[in-house]
Order: sequence, then structure tokens, then C-alpha cells
Amino acid sequence: MPVPFETLIPYVIITAMFGVTGAGLSGIRHYAGGGKKHRWSIDTWDRQMMDRDRRLTGVLRGQTDNPIAPAGFEVNQPWRAEKRFS
Amino acid sequence: MAARKPTFNQQILIDPTPLPDSIPKVKEVGASSAPLLSAAFFIGARCKDYNDDYMQCKTENPGKGEFECLKEGRRVTRCARSVIEDINKSCLEQFRAHWTCLENNNHQLWQCRPDEWKLNKCVFDNLKLEKTIPDQPKQSTPLHLRQKQIYAHSPVPAWEKPFIAEKPQSS
Repeated sequence: MPVPFETLIPYVIITAMFGVTGAGLSGIRHYAGGGKKHRWSIDTWDRQMMDRDRRLTGVLRGQTDNPIAPAGFEVNQPWRAEKRFS
Repeated sequence: MAARKPTFNQQILIDPTPLPDSIPKVKEVGASSAPLLSAAFFIGARCKDYNDDYMQCKTENPGKGEFECLKEGRRVTRCARSVIEDINKSCLEQFRAHWTCLENNNHQLWQCRPDEWKLNKCVFDNLKLEKTIPDQPKQSTPLHLRQKQIYAHSPVPAWEKPFIAEKPQSS
């Protein structure tokens, strides 16, 4: 007897659920990056450079090839202020 | 005092006080990470001496290098800025194509070799700066001139040839 199609419906549902979450996550990463592919394996150097990009352009993945920084760039580096542990 | 880098902060503090007037002002480089990576080897080709001076100064002054090496740092900034200005003047489209490709590819240079070869050709023709990767073994092609990039997502098309700068015949 051939396999009835009703038995495969759960598998279709499982695959659809995986697909929806995967596509949703990938879409979120796409929009969060301003329409670019997301960056993976980011090490401390990359994190530091992306932080500098945000200070330069205001957007995390913004890029500019201006040779001269906008006014105020020299002084907008943040100090991290922690509360005391006592 | 701070023996470790602060990571558990909830606020940040931005201090807009500028440097005192006794220190000469220099305009910071305004290029962000992808253009800088794209132009990095050309900055190295032109600014090698200033960069080496700065690194030597920092090594000789451990702990107080940020204060003692301000002059060398200004030279590094001015040289890097000059390279980016020259590339913008003469090779803007190839430069933009290359760093847009890098930005879409996790800043991995081996994914974007065709654009890089076009940029290398333009920069060598206009600015006479050549990209060389130091300490490559002599018996194989340098990494950036290989037709086959083994980790790239897609193979390099066969019609894109690497740009090899011809050395002038020394007579």
C-alpha cells in the first residue's frame, strides 16, 4: 500500500515552522544591518571598528569614505561609567 | 583604580573638552572601516616610515606612549588622510565598488578579488602605489594574485585576471 499523504502533513508543518523562524531571523538581521548581509565572527577589533563607524556616521553599519572626519568626532568618544561595587 | 576595562556600565559619559591649544590640531581621518580596509595596503605603501616611527615610539614608551607619541601620531594621521584624498580624487568608482563589496561580505578580502584587482590597477596607474603582502613565500603566487580563492563563496570568473604591476626595466 502506498504511503497516505496525511502521514506527511506533520513533517510539512515542522519544516514550515523551521522555515518561518529561519527566514524571520535572517530578515531581522538584514533590516537591522540597514539592508546589508549580517556580519559574523566579529572579534574585538571588528567591534571596535564598528563602534567607530557608529561614532562617525550615526548608524552601526554606516560607511563613509570622507577623508576628513566631521566636526566633533575627536571628542565624542564615550567613557564607560560604572557604578561602584562596594 | 581601573585594573580592568569597564564592561558593566549602564551610562556613558562624553567629555567634549577639546585638546589644549598648545598641541597642533590635525583633522582626523573620516573614513569608516570598509574604505579603510580597502585602502589599507596603499596607506601602508605610502606611509610605511611614519607608521614604523609611531610603532617604535609606542614600544619605547610603554605606558605613556599616548602622550609622548602625539607628534608621530599626527604624522600618521596626515599621511593616511592624504592617501584617502588621492584615492578619492582619482579612483572613486573602483574604490567605492570594492568597499561596498567588502561591506557585503563580512569584510573578507578574499571574497572581493575582482574588484580589488581593478582598484589596484587604477591606483597603480594614477598614484604609483602597489599592494604587496609582506613575507609571502617566493615559490608560489602571492595570495592576492591567485586566480583560485579557495574560501570564497563564488569562484573568480575566468575573464577577471589579477593585476600585476610591471616593474620598470632597470637598465
